[in-house]
Amino acid sequence: MSTWRRRDAGGVAYSDVEGTLRERTIVALSDRTLRGNLDTAATSWGEGRDAMRRDHGLDEMRERAREIRRQNIRDLPALLSEMQAKVREAGGTVVRAADGAEACRYITGLARARGVRVVAKSKSMATEEIKLNEALEDAGLEVVETDLGEWILQLAEEHPSHIIAPAVHLNRSQVADLFREEAGTDDVPDDREGLVAHARVRLREKFAQAGMGVSGVNLGVASTGTVCIVENEGNARLVTSQPRIHVAVMGMERVVADWDQAAHILQVLPMAAIGQDAANYVNLITGPRREDEADGPEEFHLVIVDGGRGALRGTEFEEALSCIRCGACLYSCPMWRSVGGQAYGSPYSGPIGAVITPLLEGPASPASRDLPFMSSLCGACGEACPVGIPLQDLLVRARARASSPATRTSGLAFRAWSRLWRHPSTYRTWMAGWRLMLRARGKAGWASHLPGPGAGWTQVRDMPTRWPPRR
Amino acid sequence: MAAAQVSAAPVSTPLVEELLASLSRRKASGQVAAAGQAGWAAARWMADAGVTRAVLADDPLVQEIGLPDALRRAGIEVLTWPTGQAKREALGLEGPPDVCGVTVPALAVAERGTVVLEASAGHGRGIDVTSRHHVALLPADRIVQTLAQALARTFDGSRPVPSAVSLVSGPSRSSDIEKISTLGAHGALTEHVVVIT
Repeated sequence: MSTWRRRDAGGVAYSDVEGTLRERTIVALSDRTLRGNLDTAATSWGEGRDAMRRDHGLDEMRERAREIRRQNIRDLPALLSEMQAKVREAGGTVVRAADGAEACRYITGLARARGVRVVAKSKSMATEEIKLNEALEDAGLEVVETDLGEWILQLAEEHPSHIIAPAVHLNRSQVADLFREEAGTDDVPDDREGLVAHARVRLREKFAQAGMGVSGVNLGVASTGTVCIVENEGNARLVTSQPRIHVAVMGMERVVADWDQAAHILQVLPMAAIGQDAANYVNLITGPRREDEADGPEEFHLVIVDGGRGALRGTEFEEALSCIRCGACLYSCPMWRSVGGQAYGSPYSGPIGAVITPLLEGPASPASRDLPFMSSLCGACGEACPVGIPLQDLLVRARARASSPATRTSGLAFRAWSRLWRHPSTYRTWMAGWRLMLRARGKAGWASHLPGPGAGWTQVRDMPTRWPPRR
Repeated sequence: MAAAQVSAAPVSTPLVEELLASLSRRKASGQVAAAGQAGWAAARWMADAGVTRAVLADDPLVQEIGLPDALRRAGIEVLTWPTGQAKREALGLEGPPDVCGVTVPALAVAERGTVVLEASAGHGRGIDVTSRHHVALLPADRIVQTLAQALARTFDGSRPVPSAVSLVSGPSRSSDIEKISTLGAHGALTEHVVVIT
């Protein structure tokens, strides 16, 4: 287990992924099993989401959700101060970490100081982003992901494919094989119910051993200092009630002002994420257990991670901070539906991942510079977003940010091109030349090898030499 | 697990009806019972489900409806929170497998089939989630229409905020294998709500 999900400290993107973005995309495109699994997943999500739009007015809830989140981001410093004060009032500890390394140092130090050996985790994108598992393992601790999908990936030594449904790219028999290997026996059933029951027992053993539970945070509610953790399986309830210590890791932007706002976002989240009007369990945790309670953690620590988020306030990318991590833009994206999340090489994939990974990594990072180009800019993501983030606009801005300093030559070329096409005479001359060239190169109405700018096109398809093309 | 209507013609309201419909949509079940019959109704549901041990929230309502007696008569062992069980037994790794956690929700949300469980000295966080079955005893006047109403009441500032509030909407499930919802991931496999009028 010591080698899985290795990454260098600092960045958000995974450093152990192989090849360039383009190469990974080509590999993913040729994986037929993956395509089938992604199709199944995206189709079932689409059906659920359509039902929410029809029966629960999901689209009508967007405007208010957008306003709430934009206001939260504007008020962020005040909300965080209030949150911090209320958590402390309830007996919890709050730590503000400037980056992932600082957050990991705190949590690792805490585990060491309390003599923890096993850490049980519930699903959390923030801990994936800060690479907490590696830090804990480097400190000699056993880390167990208890969300079924995350546990499957931990066994497969793979990265998540989706924000909400991490193991969405694996099918049932692939899962059964992993469970057999982990349990060291062939006595693992093949049916879904049997697999789920098997995991339940194996993971209960881990809960019995765990000295620390680590969860993420879907929403922080400033007015009472409460963290909301949304889930379907019940593992987050166990993570937040069984171990002696509960550590909640929260991205700094995940805070709302009060319960009126929280109620709205908590309704929108499961509708957009899983196409249902409620998640099975929503855990609203305020501090550690009170003195007269028999279960629940004795210590509650809230770790609030900046990790590059604060610097986005007041920039043209500010709206990316409104994200509630529902994953709707992933399922709706034709690009993501074709290649899955792993090709992105970041815990955050799909349109929102293509925008925020390079922002959190910094502009110089070669690992994520190309991500904003993983989009056809069709706008399906912006339409799917339940909090109204204009993802297609952010993608265009992210492209500009990735391109402007490096490629001044191409800027010159585009200016020349634009001048050429602006005047009818030069345009006509150019087109006449182009038609002559096409006719010379073409065969039966189609050219299959073109020079210069046409080469890229003809690499994958033919160019018609006349319009309309000959069938 | 069909909802067994108790014969004493309990008073039902639109909110109760909506809650029962939402529960069935969330793959939970529910029934309405008058206070005099509720203990007996809950015990019978547990006996039908094959429950051999019940872990009860320490709440006056549990005694009022005579649940401990009804359970003992049905041959079901009764433990009251806090139970004094060792950790492995509390997690279901030792002891009888068919344990039922019995909770008394503070509120319920009709439109989405949610019960609101508040942690306190007598109401352990783990009662329902560590057990294989979950029975919630819900006085009918605790039902509200929307989640916003429930949260506004729970966090209204008039009393200290509970350390943990769990919104439970049906049995535990996971869609992590092939995106198909499968019951009984980590928490209770079944959930039954007895609405007491």
